[in-house]
Amino acid sequence: MSNLYLVDDDQAVLDSLTWMLNGLGYEPQGHLSADSFLKQAELQNEGIAILDVQMPGMDGSALLSHLTKSQSPIAVIMLSGHGNIAMAVQAIQKGALDFLEKPVDGDKLAVLLEQAKLQTKLNMQQKVERDALADKLKALTPREHEVMEKVLEGKLNKVIAAELNIAQRTLELHRQKVMQKMQVSNVAELAFLMGKST
Amino acid sequence: MIAKLRPLATIGCLILSSFHACYSYAQQVEPIRVGVLAFTHPDNVAKRWQPTIDRIAVDLNKPFELIALTPSELDSKVAQGKLDFLITNALTGVSYKKDYGTTSLLTLVPQGNNQPTQAVGSALVTRSEQQVNSFSDLKSLRAVSTDKQAFGGFQIFAGEMAHNDLNPFNDFKALSFVGFPQQKLLSLVANGKADIAILPTCVLENAVKKGDIAANSLKVVLTKAAPTFHCKTSSELYPYYSFSKLGKTDHRLATDVIRSLLTIEPTEPAAVIGRYDSWSATVNDSHVFKLLKQLQQWPFVTNWTTIFRSALPWAVVIAIFLLLGYIHHLRVKRLVVLRTRDLQSEIQQHTQTQRALLEQTKQFYKAQRVLLTGEMASGIAHELNQPLAGIRYLTQGCIYRLSDEQTELKEAMNKAIQQVDRAQSTIKRFRHFCQQPSVMSECYLNQVLEDTLSLMAAEFMRMQLTPEFKCETVELTADPSLLQQVFVNIIRNALDAMSQCPAPNLSISLSKQAQHAVIVFKDNGTGLSETALERLFFPFETSKENGLGLGMIICKRIIEEHSGEIVAANNHVDGSRVPGLTITITLPIKES
Repeated sequence: MSNLYLVDDDQAVLDSLTWMLNGLGYEPQGHLSADSFLKQAELQNEGIAILDVQMPGMDGSALLSHLTKSQSPIAVIMLSGHGNIAMAVQAIQKGALDFLEKPVDGDKLAVLLEQAKLQTKLNMQQKVERDALADKLKALTPREHEVMEKVLEGKLNKVIAAELNIAQRTLELHRQKVMQKMQVSNVAELAFLMGKST
Repeated sequence: MIAKLRPLATIGCLILSSFHACYSYAQQVEPIRVGVLAFTHPDNVAKRWQPTIDRIAVDLNKPFELIALTPSELDSKVAQGKLDFLITNALTGVSYKKDYGTTSLLTLVPQGNNQPTQAVGSALVTRSEQQVNSFSDLKSLRAVSTDKQAFGGFQIFAGEMAHNDLNPFNDFKALSFVGFPQQKLLSLVANGKADIAILPTCVLENAVKKGDIAANSLKVVLTKAAPTFHCKTSSELYPYYSFSKLGKTDHRLATDVIRSLLTIEPTEPAAVIGRYDSWSATVNDSHVFKLLKQLQQWPFVTNWTTIFRSALPWAVVIAIFLLLGYIHHLRVKRLVVLRTRDLQSEIQQHTQTQRALLEQTKQFYKAQRVLLTGEMASGIAHELNQPLAGIRYLTQGCIYRLSDEQTELKEAMNKAIQQVDRAQSTIKRFRHFCQQPSVMSECYLNQVLEDTLSLMAAEFMRMQLTPEFKCETVELTADPSLLQQVFVNIIRNALDAMSQCPAPNLSISLSKQAQHAVIVFKDNGTGLSETALERLFFPFETSKENGLGLGMIICKRIIEEHSGEIVAANNHVDGSRVPGLTITITLPIKES
C-alpha cells in the first residue's frame, strides 16, 4: 500500500476529505502546509499526493514543481477551488496526473487514485531503473564512456579506433569492459537500455 | 468807391499782369489803409466814413482805402499789421492800445454834442407802462441787445451792471442778441416780444425824431443825470469813436492825417454823412480803461484769440502728450488683449488636461469597482466553497460507510450531495458573471506608469513626496487599465505604509531584462510582518481599518493574467532588516 498525502491549508476541509477517503478504505496523512508535507513525507518513495492549489506560503503548483524537480516518484493530483484552463494545462505540463475542481466526487477520486497507484509504481520503477543505469554509467571510466558513445552511434571498431587514435585491440578490450559494466550482452541491448533512460 | 473797385482792380491786375505787370497799379503808391469797426453790414459803415477818408485823401493827395471790418476781422488785421489807421469805438481802441500798441490820435465829437468825453452811453429802453425803478427789477425782464461786442449797445451797460455786482447773462430773465439795425430792437420792445432793449444812447431819440416810433410809447429807464448830454442815458457816458494809428505807421503821415481831420467843419459832407461835429484831440480815456478792466473780468469779453495764441504751444504739447498717452494706452490694450488670449488658451488647455485627468480618474474608479466586485465575488465563492467541500466530503464519506441495506439513508445523502452541487454551481455562475475579461492591446508600459503617477499627483502632493522615477521605454501586450489598477494599488499601499514616516521616499523603476519587463516599487514605510507577508495575496486579508483586503489579490490576479509574477519582500541592507517594502513585478515581453 503506497502512502497517500493530503495537503490543504483548511483544517476542516482536510478532516472531511480524510473522512471520505477513510470511507473508501484509504489511510491518508493530512498536512496543513507545503512545508510540513516536505518535512514529513517520504519523497523518494511511492506515494500519492492530493494538493490544494491555493495555499499560503508555497502553494500547490510550486510544490508540484518542487516534486518534479527533485524527481520524486509521488503521483500528484491537483485540486482547486476555482481553477481555470490555464492552471490545469500548467499543472499537467508539470507532471500532475490530473487537475480537479474542488470538491471532488469520491467515486471519481477513487478511480483516479487507482490510476495514481499504478502511476507511482511506474514512477518508482523508472526511478529505480534510472538510478541503476546511473550507477552503471558512473562505473564507466571516461575512456569507456567515450567508446560507448561511438558504439551507440553505430560505428565500426576500426573506425572508432582510428578516431580515438588507439589500437583496435585496445578498443576491443574497452568495448568488452563497457558491455560487462552495463550488464548487456550485445549492442542492441545497450542501445535499448540507454534509449529508455532518455 | 475804391474799396468797391478794389476786387475788380485786383482781378484786372491779375489778367493784365502777364502784359504789363500791373503797370498802372504798380505806378501808384501803395494805398494807406484805414480800418473801421463794423457791427452792422460793412457797406453801411463804409458809406458813413467814406467821405471823411476821401477828404483826407484829397488833402494829402495820397490814395486812402477804407476797409470796414467785423470785430474778429479787425482783430486779425491789426494783429498782422495790415492796417495803417483805425476808426474804432473807445473801448476797442483802448483794448488795441493795450494788446497791439496802437496810439489814439483823435476823438470824435458827435453831432449836437460839445463834450467828446461824454459822447455815448447805454440806454435801457422799455415800454412806457413798464415800471423799472432799480436794478433788481431787471430780473423779471426779457432783454434784447444787438451784439455782445457792441460798445454802446451792450458793453457799457454790462459794465454798469458789473459795477452793481450783477451779471447781464444771469440777472435778466432772458437775454438775446438779435443784431442790427438798432431800430429792430425798438419795435421788438414796442410790440411786446421783449421787455427791455439795451441800446446806445440817442437811438430812441433819433427814432422818435424820424417818426419811426410814437413819442410816448417807449421810455428810457434807470436814467442818470447828464446835464451836458442831449439824450437820456442809463449809464455813465464815454467817449465815442477814436481815430488811432498803428505802431508802425509813420508819424509824419499821422501828423498830416490829424491836420486834415482837425480842419473838418460840422457842415462839410464828411461830417454830415459821418454824423459828427468835428474831431478833437484825444480826451481822457481813463474811465474807458476802468470799464475795459471791469468787462475783462468776465469770460464773455475775454480775448479768446490772444489766450488761444498764447495757449497754443501748450495745447499742442498737451495734445502730443495725450496722443502719446493714447498710443501707449492702445499699445497696453493690445498687449492686454494678446496676454488675455494667451491666458485663455492656457486656461482652456489646463481645463482640458484637468477634464482628461478627471475622466481618467473616473475610468480608474469604475474599473476598480468592477474589479473589486469580481474579486469580492471570487473571495466569497472561495469562502463558501471550502465549507461546501467539507460537507460534500463528509456526506460522501458517510455514504461509503453505509451498508448496502441502508438505501434510504444513502438516497437522502445523495440528495444532500446534489444540494451541495447545486449551491456550488450557483456560486460558480455568480463568479463567472462578475469576472471582467481583460482587453489586451499593444501599449507602452512606461506610458502607463507615467499616467498612473500623474493620476496620483494630488496624493503625492498631500504627502509632500516626489517619487523617484526611473524608466525605459518598454512595449508589450497588456491591458493598460488593469495594469494601472495594479500600480495604483501598490503605490497607495506604499503611501499608507509611509503615512507616519517623517521622510517618506518612494522609488519606482522600470527596466527591461531579456524577455521581461521588471517594475520595482520600493518604499520606506512600515513593511510587513512575516505572517502578513505570507498572506499578502489572500483575499480579505487587510491591515487597514476600512480595507476590504482585496487590493493585492486583484494585483496578483491581474499580473498572473498577464503571465507575469508579483513578489513582495521587506527591505534588507547587508542581510539586516530596514524599514520598507519592495514589490517587484515581472511581466514577459512577447515578441510579436
